[in-house]
Amino acid sequence: MEQEQAKQSTSIGETQPIRITITLPTNAYFISGIRDFTLGLIRNMTEFSEQWAFRFQSVVDELCNNAIEHGSAPGKDIKITFINNPHESIEIIVEDTGTGKVKLSAKELQAIVNERRNPGYVHIGIRGRGLSKIVAEWTDELVFTDLPGGGIQARIKKYLQDPRLKNEMSQYLESPTHLVLQ
Amino acid sequence: MTQANIIVEDIPATVQGISAKLIRIQGQLDESNVDEKAKIIYQVIEQNPKNLYLLFDFEQLEYMNSKSIGYLTDWYGKIAEGQGKIVIAKPKSNILDILQVVGLTQLINCYQTLDEAKFSLLQDVVEKNNTLAPNVTSSVQQA
Repeated sequence: MEQEQAKQSTSIGETQPIRITITLPTNAYFISGIRDFTLGLIRNMTEFSEQWAFRFQSVVDELCNNAIEHGSAPGKDIKITFINNPHESIEIIVEDTGTGKVKLSAKELQAIVNERRNPGYVHIGIRGRGLSKIVAEWTDELVFTDLPGGGIQARIKKYLQDPRLKNEMSQYLESPTHLVLQ
Repeated sequence: MTQANIIVEDIPATVQGISAKLIRIQGQLDESNVDEKAKIIYQVIEQNPKNLYLLFDFEQLEYMNSKSIGYLTDWYGKIAEGQGKIVIAKPKSNILDILQVVGLTQLINCYQTLDEAKFSLLQDVVEKNNTLAPNVTSSVQQA
């Protein structure tokens, strides 16, 4: 029995994905706490480097701010889910309620991000860099999905090893974020 | 509201018509405070619409979000329009990383020390002075 429990506890986080979900009121005040949580989670529970811990801090901040500003009205919530797939990837999912001031579908939001990711696109306003210049640049997958009850789910995934290099060059990848030439 | 402080100091530059300021930003600039804090810089720009030279000391800046970067880009545009200049000193690695990913380091030079940044800024002030009054010897005092 004890052996079984010990076996289970070692496998959680080492081989099995860990999923943590946090629900927050739509208030920017709470986001600094989520940034701290993200930093700690990446540092302590994943194999990503310190540089990536800070990058995910920004990614989560931008996704949450976008959900608060556009997706969920004051008094409603946003939901943030972290899924750590040990030795493989991290996924972060942010969901809004669709009650916010900007009514966009997932397809429309994706089109805006794609347009702003274009190297020729000139950012002229104060806003508009978060999803396209930070979130999209620092993740391997960024997918927006319409939620059945209204709202949008933004889901990002970052692999420990660049999936594009996995087949050809995986033997050269020792560090999660740096190509080590041998 | 997340903690952030902006301190504005004069950099002595004995060149007429030119204002040089050291802007120390401490703490975290995020959605909860950046609109309020940005007003301080806009006020400096409004008071010095021409030939404004700003040195941002980011040594104690721990976090900046995309909106803060948007403001920094806007200040750069306004100051460049008034023939001034912005430089950044001592950004932490996470701040430099985010400035690089949005491409802002192509517009604004970042320096590892305050002295290097000040030298670069004041060198431009000297050059500007020579352009404004080519026959007058420039005298720029480093703070």
